Amino acid sequence: MSDDGLALRLEGVTKRFGKHTAVDRFDFEVPRGTISGLLGPNGSGKTTSIRMIMGILLPDEGKVSLFGADPGEARRTRVGYLPEERGVYRKMKCVDLVVFLAEIHGVPRPEGRRRAYAWIERLGLGAWADRRVEDLSKGMQQKIQFIGTVVHEPDLLVLDEPFSGLDPINQDVLEEIVREFHAKGTTILFSTHLMDQAERLCERVCLISKARKVLDADLKELKAAERKGVVAVEFEGPDAWLAGPEIDRIEEREGALHLLLREGADHQKILERGVRSGARILKFDLVEPRLHEIFVRHAGVGSAAGDGLPMGAAPPGSAGMRAEDAW
Amino acid sequence: MVGPDVWAVVRREYLQRVRSRWFVVATLGAPLVMGALFLIPPLLASREGVAERTIAVVDGTGVLYGRIAPELEAGGWRVREQRWHAEVVTELREQARAGDIAGFLMLDELTLETGEAILYTTSPPTAVRQLTLRGSIGRAALEYQLEQRGVDAASMLAGGDLRVELLSGETTRTEEPRFLVAYVGAVFIYMVILFYAVAVMRATLEEKTSRIVEVIISSMEPWHLMLGKIFGVGAVGLTQMVVWLTMSLAVVTAGLPPLIAARPELASLEGVQEVFPGVDLLAYFSGFFVCGYFMYSSLYAAVGAMCNSDEEAQQAQLPLILVLVVPILMLINVIQDPMSPLSVGLSLFPLFTPFLMWGRVVGGAVPLWQVGLSFVLMMLAIVGIAWVAGRIYKVGILMAGKRPTLPELWRWVREA
Repeated sequence: MSDDGLALRLEGVTKRFGKHTAVDRFDFEVPRGTISGLLGPNGSGKTTSIRMIMGILLPDEGKVSLFGADPGEARRTRVGYLPEERGVYRKMKCVDLVVFLAEIHGVPRPEGRRRAYAWIERLGLGAWADRRVEDLSKGMQQKIQFIGTVVHEPDLLVLDEPFSGLDPINQDVLEEIVREFHAKGTTILFSTHLMDQAERLCERVCLISKARKVLDADLKELKAAERKGVVAVEFEGPDAWLAGPEIDRIEEREGALHLLLREGADHQKILERGVRSGARILKFDLVEPRLHEIFVRHAGVGSAAGDGLPMGAAPPGSAGMRAEDAW
Repeated sequence: MVGPDVWAVVRREYLQRVRSRWFVVATLGAPLVMGALFLIPPLLASREGVAERTIAVVDGTGVLYGRIAPELEAGGWRVREQRWHAEVVTELREQARAGDIAGFLMLDELTLETGEAILYTTSPPTAVRQLTLRGSIGRAALEYQLEQRGVDAASMLAGGDLRVELLSGETTRTEEPRFLVAYVGAVFIYMVILFYAVAVMRATLEEKTSRIVEVIISSMEPWHLMLGKIFGVGAVGLTQMVVWLTMSLAVVTAGLPPLIAARPELASLEGVQEVFPGVDLLAYFSGFFVCGYFMYSSLYAAVGAMCNSDEEAQQAQLPLILVLVVPILMLINVIQDPMSPLSVGLSLFPLFTPFLMWGRVVGGAVPLWQVGLSFVLMMLAIVGIAWVAGRIYKVGILMAGKRPTLPELWRWVREA
């Protein structure tokens, strides 16, 4: 197979568990060197997709390629995987665990040992290197496992919910490391349900909901394309100019009025009308939509934590989700 | 087939276990406990004061003392001959009351005829001592009587001799049957195989429940992981047994003779050397252990992989336990009648071979071709079991949720 510039490619990948379809005809591409986010609510098929990428589950249909070829040996030596459910050998010394994980990914032991100490030091666990994993706090264990994921310096990092369970400080540390790998040219794919994290980190985002891909795009382009939809205004004086064919709905958010425009409407017309009406316009701001809002719009996924976005199409699909999940 | 990833698993499993405190305690502790079991009773006995172990023997016959004294001494007594005279009973009675001797034994003409004797003592000796005392006296009397009639008393009393010659002329082991070694050895093989096979199951279960298996499986074949586990744990078992063997060899060959020389009252320990297995038995033992271990550890790995908790595993291993009970129940029968069709059949069934063939090999006559055949069958069984278990393992190790039913298991095996 030829090199197609992709680190990862899924073609029509489908996985069923009994009657339940967990992932439905999923096409997905991750260009080399990018940071991509795989986003979706709990139970949408993120983890199942990732497990198929990692060869832990075999797809019922479709095909996974790594670096433009069948996965094969590349999966062992060129991919680092952090599963959603964290697991360590609790009785092992931290450094031994990392060396072991390096070894099964093809790093010779002496080199693995050197890297293990370097990484453990770097993540501030130097004093714990020769302690047993079970002596560490959960957050620290998670760091050790993260080290185990990257110690063989993979070309592709697959991280399933890497930030969950970490305090904000350690989330930042991890984010920093992910950025560093990105800068070195490593391709990164991570799944998350934390939208702001995805928004900060991702170049590309892919949203899946209920086993299906809903959206797959470059984040910047996506935001630019979505920008025209909402205008935040503040003004003094008459408000009759707010009634017009361009405006679908008006909502009050964070002290400002948000005008939700109809498809294809020109905000310029509203501004004109406002100026003419004699209102004193203090703010007229095209709101860059938050990722969260874009996705709620596209996925039509209801959200208990939503902050007043159009909910018309939202199905009752968010049952069982915690309010603090961004979904 | 076996790549560096397998060796990484083997090394991890091995080092992790060998370094653990429990391994050190069990490996060094078990021989100590065993040694203590052998040493403590004679030592305790020897701690009694000299007076408490001394008995005077008044030999009215004039022929028994020389025969009885060595036997009593071997049994831990100190013996003193006392010539008969009219006041001897009163005199010895005083000595015993004063605590100079534990008691005195009266032998007379009646003893020669019926084996009866009287022991006067301040406190009754233990049942075992009474028994050995009685035995020695009876034996001495019998020996004397037989010799009077010109009979080779020593061989008669040793139980005679029976030579077995097979009419078919088959090669057989002609050594004396060693029932104890056959039985104890088989039970020991059973214990170590079960112990380490269960260790494989627990390790599998731990990897599964801690979820680390997901990372490992993403970078190696499940089959390799299973193989690594089995080799690693098996190597630990072999290490442990080599340590045990070396320690007991050292004690028996280097430690025991000087000990006995220094403390003659421990002479009863000399017998230990005789039951100690020779090279041929050790070779058989290793062969049966290794083959049995591979079969059972593969099965137990599969059980571990299909369960999600210790409780589930307890239940799921029940069929295996039932299989394992059969050879243990049949063991005595097989040792007693090693050539019966039942014994031959059972001992050739691979899952029973390590215990029953061992019992036959040690306990009596087994044609060599049967031993050879049993090893061939075990090899075939290992391949077959590993194939099935590997498939169950592969599916099970990543499966959460309820334990599979038998039809589901069958599907795993077919589809994996």
